[in-house]
Amino acid sequence: MKLFNNKALLLIALILISGYGYIASCTHKDLILPDQSTGTVIINRGNSVFLPGTETKGDTTQWKMDKVHSSVLWSGDYLQQGALLTGRFNMFGLNSLPSSARQLYVTKGQPVLDTSWAFYENDPTKTYFAGYVQMNTSNTGEPGRDGNCYLGYVAAPKIITGTQNLQDSNVAVIRTTKVEFDTKSPGYIVTMVMSWKGLLSAPHDTTINGTLSYVKRSTIDAGTAKAYDVFGLQLNFKFNCRSFGMTTDEISDIVSVQCNINFNNL
Amino acid sequence: MSKPKYNEFQIFDKVDDSVTFKIETKMANSFFVYLQQLELMAFFSGYPLIYAVIIYFAGNKRAENNFKTRILAVLPFAYAFTGTLYLGLQLKKLYFNYSSENVKLLMHSPYLMIWALISILFWIPAVGRKRALSLLHSLVFFFFLVKDIILQFASSADENILKNDMRIYTVSLLLNIGSLVLMLLLSFLFLPKKKQELK
Repeated sequence: MKLFNNKALLLIALILISGYGYIASCTHKDLILPDQSTGTVIINRGNSVFLPGTETKGDTTQWKMDKVHSSVLWSGDYLQQGALLTGRFNMFGLNSLPSSARQLYVTKGQPVLDTSWAFYENDPTKTYFAGYVQMNTSNTGEPGRDGNCYLGYVAAPKIITGTQNLQDSNVAVIRTTKVEFDTKSPGYIVTMVMSWKGLLSAPHDTTINGTLSYVKRSTIDAGTAKAYDVFGLQLNFKFNCRSFGMTTDEISDIVSVQCNINFNNL
Repeated sequence: MSKPKYNEFQIFDKVDDSVTFKIETKMANSFFVYLQQLELMAFFSGYPLIYAVIIYFAGNKRAENNFKTRILAVLPFAYAFTGTLYLGLQLKKLYFNYSSENVKLLMHSPYLMIWALISILFWIPAVGRKRALSLLHSLVFFFFLVKDIILQFASSADENILKNDMRIYTVSLLLNIGSLVLMLLLSFLFLPKKKQELK
């Protein structure tokens, strides 16, 4: 109790601790910077490199897709003129799905490893990814629509409980062919090939462009034994659903897709 | 430099859903524990500094005037008032469903919550007279701030954590000052001539 009887010492200690806290926490990150006089966008990119490895749990050098905290969202104008019709795909992954992988899997989890990607923050020529969605897992929050008329509009098979259907008739796949810096933002411009059978007789490939944003790496539970790191990638692109034989007027020609993919090194 | 090829695709031999669930639960739990810790800091971490300032300036062995006597006397009651506000917040969260299951769901850090609620005991005059106990009680929550400062200092941990802590700490300082001012006003209103009882 002697410490607490020494009033000055206690006061000085508390002021020093609090003062250091305020000074150390002063990052100025929230300051709004004035407009640049030249109008030139200044972009500072780091040198982060993220690779999936073999998804070995516990290996912090290998980055795993955090499926439960990721999403693939779609939207298009309802009846070609109304407000947005929106939905998400429940099952998706980061795999290029070679022909040998396009089969039925009896599992409730990810049927194949999500390892078809690499991200180099400062060298987009090395960045690539390939991803897929299972078309019959679209979820608009209306089960009567998702399991019925929707399946007809996209020619997807019904869901078989406990299985993952990666057959040609049920997957849409995107695969990057070129990733380059966006000169007007900290993001990237992505050229991709989208492959989907839709209502056609065979899978059809079409080239599309999109934008990719990198959400910087950060540490969760920093300084503790359970600390781990996370980062995110957000991909936005649009495609013309008529290219894949879709004829329904329930949705407009142009469908927007947003992929929010989070990764961790747990 | 040649463009890298896609990784060989691999099929899971067995998908371990339980592991995914555990990771998800762990992440969610640590998040809610952290939120509850911030909540506790918002109520109690600012008290030690206010206590130290008041004790330094008003805590002479022989009280010089009525105001200093009063502010010293109401200090633990102000802390008890802060604890009561914390209890009120918890009851508000439980509103409509005060079942034991709901209480369990709310208590992500049960020991800390119980420790925080012990502050209400300072309403009891016999406990309230032992001012140093209120300091000891609140130092537990001040320790969270100290811990994050040390971690940030020692390992360059995410500075946003400390930034967030300091915002919460500022709120806590304001809350405890508000509690103290309110208790002081009430003491002047309702106990104008009973300064001896307050001691």
